Amino acid sequence: MAKCAEVVQDILRGMLRERLVDEVVAFGRGLTGSDILPLFITDEQDIDRIVTTSYCPSSLAKLVARYGDRNKKMAIVVRSCDARGLVEIAKRRQVKPENLYLVGIECYGVVREKRGEVYIFADKMEVDGEMMPLDEAALSPNCRRCEYPVPTMADISCRIEPEGDCLVTVNTEKGKAMLATASVPVQDAPPSDVAAIKERAARWQEKDFGDIKRMEPGERLDYWLSQFDRCIKCYGCRDACPICVCKECCLEPDRGLIKGGEYPPETLFHAVRLTHVGESCVNCGQCEAACPMEIPVSKLYHMLSKEVGSIFNYEPGLDIDSLPPVSMVDEEDLLKTGVDFG
Amino acid sequence: MDTADGKRFEPKILGFLCNWCCYAGADLAGVSRLQYPPNIRAIRVMCSAGADPAYVMKALLGGVDGVFIGGCHPGECHYTSGNYYTRRRVAMLKKLMEILGLEPERLRLEWVSASEGALFAEAIKDFTEKLKSLGPNPLKVKKRPGAVVGVKRS
Repeated sequence: MAKCAEVVQDILRGMLRERLVDEVVAFGRGLTGSDILPLFITDEQDIDRIVTTSYCPSSLAKLVARYGDRNKKMAIVVRSCDARGLVEIAKRRQVKPENLYLVGIECYGVVREKRGEVYIFADKMEVDGEMMPLDEAALSPNCRRCEYPVPTMADISCRIEPEGDCLVTVNTEKGKAMLATASVPVQDAPPSDVAAIKERAARWQEKDFGDIKRMEPGERLDYWLSQFDRCIKCYGCRDACPICVCKECCLEPDRGLIKGGEYPPETLFHAVRLTHVGESCVNCGQCEAACPMEIPVSKLYHMLSKEVGSIFNYEPGLDIDSLPPVSMVDEEDLLKTGVDFG
Repeated sequence: MDTADGKRFEPKILGFLCNWCCYAGADLAGVSRLQYPPNIRAIRVMCSAGADPAYVMKALLGGVDGVFIGGCHPGECHYTSGNYYTRRRVAMLKKLMEILGLEPERLRLEWVSASEGALFAEAIKDFTEKLKSLGPNPLKVKKRPGAVVGVKRS
């Protein structure tokens, strides 16, 4: 049973028909009908292919930034990490936020391996129409640490109920215009059960980060070095990362920072990526999903962004007006005289 | 602290010194014949914010025992706000080093104006002592597996 898909399709079809948007970006069925791919849809009849299952093979935010035309109006079906990624990309001026119409889907985790039609809910999951208790081990590791199930930065957000109902809430003025053409009733949905997800996130963060934090500094260094030694320098983490938007990347050998023709690359390879995206990591998990050597990079980036966020009081991806903390100066800085921030 | 081969451990410090203040401060320390340890190798940058975090990490991961960044006092930056950026970056870098397993004390930021030669000498003296008690950079002694060199395209 395709849950909620008709409602989302209805909204998107209306927007496309009314020329509110030129293009729709969403996950949908490929030509064989069994595979799920990111689709850039301009033809109304292809809207039927859009799905809302909890299987997300890639980041739509990165695809929009890289392959989307920024002057086109686009509707994007996002989960909260995609939405946060797009906010970060917009801060870096790679997309025009006024041209993006975000249809959010509340997300309690995604799976990276395709095992039939999977829907994940707060405390249960549905596989091929069969409801079962949630198996946290099946979730992507970053999703277990995720604290943001509700895409509050999207214009409208849809909640899929386990029974198959779809509750639509409007977050912005733009969202009202988006729903104007659709025959979807807007409900005053009861607030989502975020507390349970926060508890799960705290538990897994404690588990994932705590293990590393409890190590002695030397032991921690050995741990990361042994992980980085597996690196085959495929640039998969960089290419999948929604925050890495530079056209010319200083990790390329012709920039002279990292020596070419060598693998594993110097540890600097990972350190440079950490300094560039660490403070803005939205914990979308794409880097780790892309890594063929299964290096736990998303754990590392998420850990750094949490730590840095606690110094600067910054949460990446939530507010488009708060800039990345190491790329800005505010008035309070002028009053501090010491060498330590804070 | 002595190293394994019995020699006294002398830390290597890489300094990124701002052209407008700290570099002149170091110059003043020299001209005034103030004694300070010769462990620092100075790189003059046009602003302390020119010390890209990537360069700092390159030095530390390459085996330098400590990195010293010298900038202007807040409010005195030649480019009005470069030193504020540096301060934010250093805060981030320290966290990064901690997570990777390097002691954050290996990175040090100091405000030294062009007239503060004595302060510069004192800072270097103190930093060298700190590094001596910390010991050598673990990455210097760490045996890394030899990198596999791929076929070079000509």
